[in-house]
Amino acid sequence: MELFVQSLVSGILLGGLYAAIGVGLSLVFGIMGLTNIAHGSLLILSSFFIMIFVQAFGGSIILAFAITIVLMIAVGVLLQGFLINRVISKGAEPALLVTFGVAIIIWNILEFFFGANFFRLSNPLTGINVVSTRWMIIPATALFNLGISTVVILALHFVIQKTLFGRAIRAAAGNVNAAELMGINTSRTYIYAMCLALATSSVGGLLVGQTFGFFSFSGMGYLIIAFGVVVIGGMGSILGTFLGGIILGVAQLLGGYFFGPGVQTLVGYLTLLVLLTLRPQGLLGNMTRK
Amino acid sequence: MTHKHVLSSAYKLIGIKSGVIVAAIIALALLPLYGSAHAINVGILVFSYLALGQMWNLLAGYSGLVSLGHQAFIGIGAYTLAVVTVSYGGGFFMSFLISIVIAVLFSLVISFPIFKLSGVYFTIGTWIVSESVLMFFRNWRFVNFDAGMNITRAFRIPQENLYLGALALGIVSVALVYFILRSKMGLSLMAMRDNPAAAEVRGVHLYKTKLICFLIASTFITITGVLLYMNIAFVMPGPAFGIDWAVSMVFIVVIGGIGTIEGPIIGAAIYVFLRQFLFNFPGMSLIILGSIAVIVILVAPKGIMGAIHGKFGFELFSVRRKMED
Amino acid sequence: MNENMLMTIENLNVSYGDFQALYDVSMQFPKGAIVSIIGANGAGKSTLLNAVLGINKPHSGKVTFQGQDITGKRTSTIVSKGVSLSPEGSSVFEDMTVYENLVVGAFLPSARKKKKERMEYVYKLFPALKEKASQRATFLSGGQRQMLAIARALMSDPKLLICDEISLGLAPVVVGDIYNSILEVNEKMGLTIVLVEQEVKRSLDYSDISYVLVKGSVVMGGPSDELDEAAVKDAYFGINQFA
Repeated sequence: MELFVQSLVSGILLGGLYAAIGVGLSLVFGIMGLTNIAHGSLLILSSFFIMIFVQAFGGSIILAFAITIVLMIAVGVLLQGFLINRVISKGAEPALLVTFGVAIIIWNILEFFFGANFFRLSNPLTGINVVSTRWMIIPATALFNLGISTVVILALHFVIQKTLFGRAIRAAAGNVNAAELMGINTSRTYIYAMCLALATSSVGGLLVGQTFGFFSFSGMGYLIIAFGVVVIGGMGSILGTFLGGIILGVAQLLGGYFFGPGVQTLVGYLTLLVLLTLRPQGLLGNMTRK
Repeated sequence: MTHKHVLSSAYKLIGIKSGVIVAAIIALALLPLYGSAHAINVGILVFSYLALGQMWNLLAGYSGLVSLGHQAFIGIGAYTLAVVTVSYGGGFFMSFLISIVIAVLFSLVISFPIFKLSGVYFTIGTWIVSESVLMFFRNWRFVNFDAGMNITRAFRIPQENLYLGALALGIVSVALVYFILRSKMGLSLMAMRDNPAAAEVRGVHLYKTKLICFLIASTFITITGVLLYMNIAFVMPGPAFGIDWAVSMVFIVVIGGIGTIEGPIIGAAIYVFLRQFLFNFPGMSLIILGSIAVIVILVAPKGIMGAIHGKFGFELFSVRRKMED
Repeated sequence: MNENMLMTIENLNVSYGDFQALYDVSMQFPKGAIVSIIGANGAGKSTLLNAVLGINKPHSGKVTFQGQDITGKRTSTIVSKGVSLSPEGSSVFEDMTVYENLVVGAFLPSARKKKKERMEYVYKLFPALKEKASQRATFLSGGQRQMLAIARALMSDPKLLICDEISLGLAPVVVGDIYNSILEVNEKMGLTIVLVEQEVKRSLDYSDISYVLVKGSVVMGGPSDELDEAAVKDAYFGINQFA
């Protein structure tokens, strides 16, 4: 019973991290209908950037993180401006395959430089437990992850819903021609949206790097997690990623509780497949994009 | 030129084309008599990858089913071979037969959930299926978990036989796609591609057509998996179910020309030669292949064959029906 | 170039593949005037608007706005110069509230400063919108959508307002109200307006200058009060009757 409660609580906390992993994918899908297969690889790329800059600039993780965000925004400009914008109007497949190609390229570049070595970002909270009882243990890291991801997602929600920039993005998502008629340059808007998504993914990269650690090729696994979060929460729904993250996290850890930790990931995938089949529009109802 | 004249010259061209194709097949079939061991090895790879590419083309290029999960079938083929020959002491013929049965059953089972998905959902759905199978094999005692299995018996096959098998597989895959497209099924596939909304009206029929293409592609990819692993001494879940297989299928079709029969032939040849060449640059090969694929999608979305067709109007296999048939 | 012309279209040709949709279309839009473009379904009205706004690229010809060549420029660029279109079938942003639609209408930096007064102005012009300000556009009636589309187009503080098929699918009373509002905008603010319409009589009544578009060509054009309604109708329907 204790283990069951612990699995449930851990699953919810894990869900917070999952939401941070998925929110960028959801944003990009909601705005331009793009399933960014490079999402996971980009997220891990930001983990690597943080690691490199921590070593290069005297160990400050905050400074390294700030530089990484700037760099990832630059990556977003290149990726969207030079590659995706050129194929986005030609239907879903070319854009999908371009991001697939980008995913393969990033992951192999990382492998080229870092091999198959496992890395982890330093985490001052390691080993500290906020709650420690017979029933459950709540590590500080997990709580920190949940807190940060909450802040990021609420901030993103606010930007999209309440600012002119966010409204312009939503206009472009709803009707490209009508948005252009308002004087909104939709190509540029897509670039901003990709940059925003990559900036939030950098947060995901930081949390993942501190919590789980990463390999050059772990991006593909995180893509599937992100996809699961987004599918469960509703493609394009920012707040929905929370629900998606928590359901996926709980499903995995309860799966681990019932069937053994070895099949934890498998249970997560199968949950995702079942949900995908039953409710492709997400648990929270309608899709933002038609 | 009179109408008759045009027709007769068209027939002449068809005659020349078939002649060239037959001659090429004979020359390729006789390769073991005059080719080096290296040429035979390259041939095995080219024709195996041709079969993979052509099947992926049947899915993505003609049926609108962009799958990033068909590496699952390579792995299934590889493990069927290992289990049948090593665990049960069966023969190769038995391996092929059992792998076909498993492939058909497995595709039927997964078709229930993933055929409810469309577009990118289908794509990611297939990928998750494949990753799930990988996870399953990693946790399966029967196949020795992540440690893998030996396929020792495979060493007894002469390379020439493997080559002929691969050649047959490649030719059959091309012929199969050609005849599917010329059949009634092909017509409804084309209709779907040209006008999804209108074709939607014939929903049930289309579902069946897509499912048949899916079964055929899955089965052929499984057979190719068996054949490819006859040449490899060892099978492990990671490489057998690896995304690399999907990368190669996508690359071959995108480079050669998606939605053309000739595309995968050109693509497979380029892919195998590029890989051999890039062997000298360890770690760089997928970076370069990926970059080439991305550039081709941006610059020539219909691939090499699309560019040739656009410039010269040439195609080796015309799937468009002539007025008289 | 004539100083009094806000916009001119010269010998515009547009083709879709083998099909030519516009033939040598030339039109002039004087400052402060209401100009109507009359044509049946498929006469090329939408094609013309799309070409003017850069949504599709003309084959040849030239569009000049305030002395600047805007032919084939990006839509958002053309809009930023002061051309505003209220699209046909009122394609409002469904998932946004009426208020948000108007805010997005004032997206251009030049329009942002005047957002408050503009919004007051359009609310006064279309009081129905003020009542529905916080509702999502999905829940508006056909007439209200049309009003919102026009109001949204006005938010960008345009120099030229193009209204595409206001009367499409609306009750005559509602159409009359909207037309009167547009007349008011023209008279009080001196805004140049283009009405793209199928209805011959109303177009001639409300406009200073009219052009009749038939099968992609301008067949008649001139001051609206000099054009004979019967002759316009003949030109307009003639094709259908005798073709």
